[in-house]
Amino acid sequence: MEEYKIILFLCNWGPHTAYQQLQDNGYQIPLEVKMIRIPCTGRISKALLFKAFEMGADGVAIVGCNSGACRYGSGTLTAENNTEDTRNIIDLLGIGRERMRLATFLPDESEALKTFLADFCEEIKELGKSPVMPAKLQPVEVYDESAQQVIARYDAYSCQDCGKCTASCPLALSGKTFSPRNIVSDIIRGNDATEKVYADVHACLTCGICHERCPSDVNFPEFIRDMRCLLNQTRISGERIQPHGGFFQSLMRTMTSKDILPDRWKWLPEDIKVDPGSKTLFFGGCAPYFDAFFKKHQHVNTVDILADALRLLNFFDVRPRLMEMERCCGHDLLWSGDRTNFMRLAKLNVEMIQDLGIETVITACPECYYTLGFEYEKNGIQPGFTVTHLYAFLENEINKGAVTFKPLPRRITYQDSCRMNRMEEIINLPRKLIQRLAVEQFQEMKDSGRSALCCGNCAWTGCDAYSKALQVKRIRQAHDTGSDLLVTSCPKCQIHLRCAMEDPFQETELKMEMIDLTSLIARTICWE
Amino acid sequence: MAKKVNKQEVIVTGFGGQGIVLAGKILGMAAALGDHRESTLVQSYGPESRGGACCAQVIISEKTIQYPYVKMADVLVCMSQSAYEKYKSQIKPEGYLITDRDLVNPDGQREVYDIPATRMAEELGRTMMANIIMIGFVTAVTALISEKAAREAVMSSVPKGTEEMNLKAFTRGFEYGQSKLKGREKKAAGQTGAIA
Ligand code: SF4
Ligand code: SF4
Ligand code: SF4
Repeated sequence: MEEYKIILFLCNWGPHTAYQQLQDNGYQIPLEVKMIRIPCTGRISKALLFKAFEMGADGVAIVGCNSGACRYGSGTLTAENNTEDTRNIIDLLGIGRERMRLATFLPDESEALKTFLADFCEEIKELGKSPVMPAKLQPVEVYDESAQQVIARYDAYSCQDCGKCTASCPLALSGKTFSPRNIVSDIIRGNDATEKVYADVHACLTCGICHERCPSDVNFPEFIRDMRCLLNQTRISGERIQPHGGFFQSLMRTMTSKDILPDRWKWLPEDIKVDPGSKTLFFGGCAPYFDAFFKKHQHVNTVDILADALRLLNFFDVRPRLMEMERCCGHDLLWSGDRTNFMRLAKLNVEMIQDLGIETVITACPECYYTLGFEYEKNGIQPGFTVTHLYAFLENEINKGAVTFKPLPRRITYQDSCRMNRMEEIINLPRKLIQRLAVEQFQEMKDSGRSALCCGNCAWTGCDAYSKALQVKRIRQAHDTGSDLLVTSCPKCQIHLRCAMEDPFQETELKMEMIDLTSLIARTICWE
Repeated sequence: MAKKVNKQEVIVTGFGGQGIVLAGKILGMAAALGDHRESTLVQSYGPESRGGACCAQVIISEKTIQYPYVKMADVLVCMSQSAYEKYKSQIKPEGYLITDRDLVNPDGQREVYDIPATRMAEELGRTMMANIIMIGFVTAVTALISEKAAREAVMSSVPKGTEEMNLKAFTRGFEYGQSKLKGREKKAAGQTGAIA
């Protein structure tokens, strides 16, 4: 018989008493139920709930006190929200929302608890085993590499100790005791195993300004990426330096399971036309997951970007294919130092895309573009299809002429995407497109283009008070342009900047409307 | 594809120096050599070739052409305001009026197919190529001559060494024309923007 694993997060207060009563009365709790006693359901974050699934749970129940009976007041309400979001996420992943339940019991409701457990166990057995293959059970690929090799790859030995990198680093400028120059010299001196180096390597935003400035052309972001991969091989990767409890890394690792059947496009608006026979694939990226995760929080709506990208393709008579089983491109796993699982995702994606006979992949996300278009090949995986950024497609089509833009009475400014700014192929495209728009005013921020400030986070790694200060500085720069609309080109910039705008201490001072360039184009483009 | 209409009459007009006559010649050559039809070209010389209104009259037909002058055109291509004023009455009601958008301000009496040919030529690095861009545009919009024939005629008429550049100019005009037709089609179907 197959062994099922059902995780029961059980609140210490109300329902635990009921649970104990069952045990006292000699009731055998179903063997598949693994109970974890918790102080309050409200403390079980989405990351923890999801983690159970990542590790192979077939079902997760979170059981607490009735709303009014919560010892801490709002615990149950928080649990309700977390449960709802987690259920949406596992549903998108194709694990099935039924595998997660929330219930509440008073101390004397042991019979009801008994029925609940039996019923849930039965339902899970009907659903069968979870399709997730825990990443931890799969072999870890060990890359035989030393810090000195990484140093040599990026020729960091040629560092002249000039300090230009530290002087331009936005984290250092926000007051953090952080110096790219010191990281380099510490690692050269062989101190790569210290806590300080580990923390600093993970604090870097990989924004690349330092690389722009470095006279010795030390590619710091890539150096950091490889150092992360190296350092995390020998230690449990640092969830403590991953914001949101490492939820996103956990999500991405889960997507390496071959057997899950994600349903990424179920939300697709009806007006969008796709063609299952097309040789052109639109690769969406993880926006639907971001929205599900941040739903209650920040009204993040990054799937609009995908819908508008598809509308623009339709506008120019391209009906692309979509891949329901699309996985994360793996960017954030690689950039948070998990090469093994990045490689798994990369292989899976390439395999699936090739199986569909795709010739061209179009994407609107700078990170997907970068990863599919360059990183896969660099890591020895031959994609066999060409990758086009939506902006390149648009620029080409619009350049043919006969389209124009409806006037938009807004004053706009533009937040550069770090990845896009380091890719010569597409670096100029956003501004070219912006110049075509019929807006009232386009004003650059104080730091723009190649010296633009990062939105404050990369790869869900190292969010802290200093990166927050950096974000506040950036948003102030946006306000200083006199603009009323901040245009972005990466869904993550929207998420991180929006997060900073919600800072309760700054109240509404930082608030500014944001829109992705893709959406802005889709909303105003028209035939002449 | 060239339309199987018996006879089409074309007037290409503009300033001297815009390559008007060459444009007429390319249209005629494409029809005759590429599409295997008959064609004639009448060009006006004179003071115009130094800047006044300049004109090329082209007739394309399935049968031998007896009279090479155009009274009423099926396609009127105008690359200057004065040329437009002079010839605007010589177009059939169902004919195509084609203009350089930045150089001609039409009176709004009829539908216009316009293209910023000169501006595009400047962007490509040579104002001289506006006429080739215009030929690309005319080819896409009117189906007077086939694309293949047009390209071949461009290739054989432009100075050696500039073929590739001129083909690029042709493509620019051709794609603009296709895009324009597509846009009109979409508008007619009620889809103006990307969002319904
Ligand atoms: S990549 Fe950006 S955050 Fe990292 S060290 Fe360089 S400038 Fe600082
Ligand atoms: S900018 Fe380059 S050369 Fe200068 S200290 Fe930094 S890494 Fe070294
Ligand atoms: S800035 Fe906000 S949304 Fe971004 S990682 Fe940090 S806490 Fe999360």
